[in-house]
Amino acid sequence: MSALLEVRGLTTHFDTRGGVLKAVEDVSFEVGEGEIVGLVGESGSGKSVTGFSILGLVDAPGRIVSGSVRFAGRELVGLGHGALRSMRGREMAMVFQDPSATLNPVLTVGQQMRLAIAAHERVGEAAATARCVEALTIVGIPDAARRLENYPHQFSGGMRQRVAIAIALLNRPKLIICDEPTTALDVSIQAQILTEMKSLAARLGTAMIWISHDLATVSSVASRLLVMYAGRIIEAGPVASVLRSPRHPYTRGLLNSLPSMARPGQDLVQIPGSMPSLANLPEGCSFRPRCPKAQEDCKVMPALTGDGARAFRCRHPLDREVAA
Amino acid sequence: MNVPAARPLVEVQDVSKRFTPHVSIGERIAAMLGSPVETRTVHAVDNVSFAIRKGEVLGLVGESGCGKSTLGRVVAGIHPPSEGRASIEGVAVMGEGRTPLKTTTRIQMVFQDPFASLDPRVRIGDTIGEGPLAHGLVAKADVQAYVARWLTAVGLPAEAAGRFPHQFSGGQRQRVAIARALAMQPDVLVCDEPVASLDVSIQAQIINLFLKLRRELDLTMLFISHDLGVVRHICDRVAIMYLGRIVELGAAADIFERPRHPYTRALLDSVPKLVTASDELVTFKPIQGELPSPLSPPPGCHFHLRCPHARERCRVEVPRLEGDPQPAACHYPLAP
Repeated sequence: MSALLEVRGLTTHFDTRGGVLKAVEDVSFEVGEGEIVGLVGESGSGKSVTGFSILGLVDAPGRIVSGSVRFAGRELVGLGHGALRSMRGREMAMVFQDPSATLNPVLTVGQQMRLAIAAHERVGEAAATARCVEALTIVGIPDAARRLENYPHQFSGGMRQRVAIAIALLNRPKLIICDEPTTALDVSIQAQILTEMKSLAARLGTAMIWISHDLATVSSVASRLLVMYAGRIIEAGPVASVLRSPRHPYTRGLLNSLPSMARPGQDLVQIPGSMPSLANLPEGCSFRPRCPKAQEDCKVMPALTGDGARAFRCRHPLDREVAA
Repeated sequence: MNVPAARPLVEVQDVSKRFTPHVSIGERIAAMLGSPVETRTVHAVDNVSFAIRKGEVLGLVGESGCGKSTLGRVVAGIHPPSEGRASIEGVAVMGEGRTPLKTTTRIQMVFQDPFASLDPRVRIGDTIGEGPLAHGLVAKADVQAYVARWLTAVGLPAEAAGRFPHQFSGGQRQRVAIARALAMQPDVLVCDEPVASLDVSIQAQIINLFLKLRRELDLTMLFISHDLGVVRHICDRVAIMYLGRIVELGAAADIFERPRHPYTRALLDSVPKLVTASDELVTFKPIQGELPSPLSPPPGCHFHLRCPHARERCRVEVPRLEGDPQPAACHYPLAP
């Protein structure tokens, strides 16, 4: 699999009155063509800012301090607004958490879909409509031709998210960044959308970065998993392998705190303390103050080191899984 | 977990709750002149009955719009029911009359969003102490020590009393909201999605807090949530709601292992599971279609439009919640 997206040493900071917020620090990863990569972490871990940085959507006071984002062989960091704009939506698209905030309430779905096409190419009215209908049909909206005349409020939450996904698909991008696309939806609707997104990725060969805080959701769509903590990737590898035998104590802690990991009624194993402030990170490994395995040498930031298909940022990793 | 008492502590009998939007003067005049004005009534809760024993935690599960929050608010005495009544040891939670008031402080509520449920301009010590002071649970001279006691009970330092909500993280704010409810020394806590807006690691801390409080204070709880994993973890019994009605009720283990209602089955099948084997193929069996509008629920069984087992009878006849010990509102319940 050739790398479609190559992120190297990406660092994004926000200059605020309270100091520099180190939202993303030295993040490196690749996404292959047609691959679904899961990016998990808790609030403030930098997972969404990573997505925004890739698309060049970080506004002041935020800025990409260093690093490189290569997409289909082209460097995106440092590219002008116009160039980024013509690429966004056509080669790379994003689906956000809240579809009621991303769709324009005063335009019909058809109008905003045609705008999304017109932003990138000149297409005749009939051809544009045909493409809109096709995109809506792909995401499972029945009676698509008629629904084009409806406004967003005439759709349910799940249907609105489908419309947002259809808009992302309109120009057949090579990569879609999905930021918690099913978090606001009910489980039954979430199951429908997860199933459809997976089959879409397989059918159209679209690569995806699936950002979420929910390990179970990510594990059911992605093939590879990146775990972020306080702005850095702390563990990476094939989904099942990472979840079966995490090497970083934080990943282990996150898994242990899930109710499904304990017997009903039993106390959950909780990670002590809370996430450090991004303006005031502890010296060395950011997880050190909460880590049960922390030692003196953790006061120096460990590098992301590889072990076969797996990588982790820890000097005292948990044992590798015993060969089954 | 607890020895059940003879009489249930909380009883909810035939409760219905309808919301009718305000009709403007113009519309009223138009109606008087004979023009057809649509009055769109939402049947949020439709003839629901259940009981909670002392020391028991009952989970109330359903998707958005199923009426679970409204039902919780009726039990907590925030909304008066349109019909039926909710009572605690036989005493109605709400009074009578045109503008009924809550009659008891024995039921308290914890809300989902701790950013919205705490007054940003009031120190949290005052937020926690106000209710007990007003109701004479504590003398003015002792209120500081009283607040400190409840802050400690929820795992916050006593000095936190002097701070404002914005100085706390989401998880800490939820602890404050729980302390506020507990300071009223309630017998029953109605919790509406208390961990839904929290991160996984913080969620674990709050779940552990609920388990601890339950052990120490013998609390009775109505725990409303859409998260089946959380509900399974802390509830003794579970009620599943669909479009205003309870469709299944039973012991948590039975509901999760042997659901009788097709909707419960479908809901369980929709939950993503952690994938830990590389050859594991993830397949969902999503429920077809979407929740019908509560403005115009389908006749008969509300679930028949999406149910794989629906037959003619389901389209016309409303199934009753029947069966012991795990009643299900279904004409053709699943075999165990």
